[in-house]
Amino acid sequence: MKAVKTVNKEVTFFLDGHSVSAWVEPHARLIDLLRDQLGQTGTKEGCGEGECGACTVIVERRPINACLYPALEVEGKSVRTVQGLAARGRELTPVQRAFVELGGAQCGFCSPGMIMTATALLESNPQPTDQEIRKALVGNLCRCTGYVQIIESVQRAAAIMSADEDNENNGDNEDKGAHS
Amino acid sequence: MLTPTYDYHRPQGLEQAWRLKQELPQAQWIAGGTDLLVQLRSGRRPKPEALISLRSVAELTKIQIGHPVRLGAMVPVAELALHPEIKTRFAALVAAIDVFASQQIRNVATLGGNLCNASPAADTAPPLLVHEARVELTDAGTTRVLALEDFMQGPGETALGPNEILTAVLLDPPATQGRSAFLKKGRTAMDVAVVSVAAFIEMEGEVCRTARLAAGAVAPMPLRLKAAEAILEGAKLTDERLAEAARAATEAVAPIDDLRSSAEYRRHLVGVYVRRAVSECLA
Repeated sequence: MKAVKTVNKEVTFFLDGHSVSAWVEPHARLIDLLRDQLGQTGTKEGCGEGECGACTVIVERRPINACLYPALEVEGKSVRTVQGLAARGRELTPVQRAFVELGGAQCGFCSPGMIMTATALLESNPQPTDQEIRKALVGNLCRCTGYVQIIESVQRAAAIMSADEDNENNGDNEDKGAHS
Repeated sequence: MLTPTYDYHRPQGLEQAWRLKQELPQAQWIAGGTDLLVQLRSGRRPKPEALISLRSVAELTKIQIGHPVRLGAMVPVAELALHPEIKTRFAALVAAIDVFASQQIRNVATLGGNLCNASPAADTAPPLLVHEARVELTDAGTTRVLALEDFMQGPGETALGPNEILTAVLLDPPATQGRSAFLKKGRTAMDVAVVSVAAFIEMEGEVCRTARLAAGAVAPMPLRLKAAEAILEGAKLTDERLAEAARAATEAVAPIDDLRSSAEYRRHLVGVYVRRAVSECLA
């Protein structure tokens, strides 16, 4: 391999709602930037090849694999990780609550990715069918649960979110808005 | 962590991309990167001195609905499948994108990348073949247009020149009576195709006016099944006719044995899928 001298480059983006700047090696991936440079180890690296989905984060409202995403490509973009869902002092989101209550996590390694994929799904499709849930989760592998509890967790999360929405609407509380 | 070292550039326009390529002649273009990054990290592809990312190049990120329909090579495939005009006109392409890896990949992978990676199993190739797609290639101001069939030359091989960029995929809106379908067999939902088949059928009363068929993962590159098409065109599509076309399809392909399937199974399946894909167009 030819040794190439590279100079680190700056990338500025929004990480879980906060503006962040970092100097990264040009070949760094988003997963390297998050975990090794920013210490945000909530997002996991499983296969490193886009097969397992453990590294799933949401970039500009769409789930992507952080192991296949060049770090420099998040310039100016919004990146959401599992660590931004229930920020310090805030309660768990409906998706997280459902995974806890129904045993959607066993060893837990796939959970950050599962939860981000499920979050993106419910934000774009609040009442998915069983088939839509399974399809959305195709790119997230779990080697413990057998998936049944995970699918039930997403169904429960959809139910919690729809009940919350009804309550908000009935309470005529316009400030809270819809989950988006 | 075994990470290769290379520089990375993000030009925002074609002019800037050409300038970078002139300064760095050994640099490699990169699209969504969902195949390329895996190949680079595993050592299956030699590391370039630099990658020049095309995904922010403004000229390559638009969908233009006209005559022809122009699909920017850097539009993520998920976005193509959501476009209402593409959904109604190019059903086989949308069906292929629907089963293209996972949504995490579809949100990043591009049509240009899928075609330039030139896998014999590329999901978007058979539907683009039956829609008679052309590709637009540009090299610093010189543009040429090739039929997709002529662009694909073998596993990992295309007609792309060393500095050329695939800028867009061009499609003529299909005849209003035409229907298209796509079928894919994979080991799992995420897996690369064992066999894929696309069909475009246009009927005139009971007679088939136009038949276009293509298959993936059964030859060194995705291919049109012209002998099978000839059997259907100008004929009533009876069960016997379909069986004859299916047989012609199994004879036209040259599948291999690999870890996903035997050649024999692939050959059998391509016939079954030709029959089913045509039936789906007629349903």
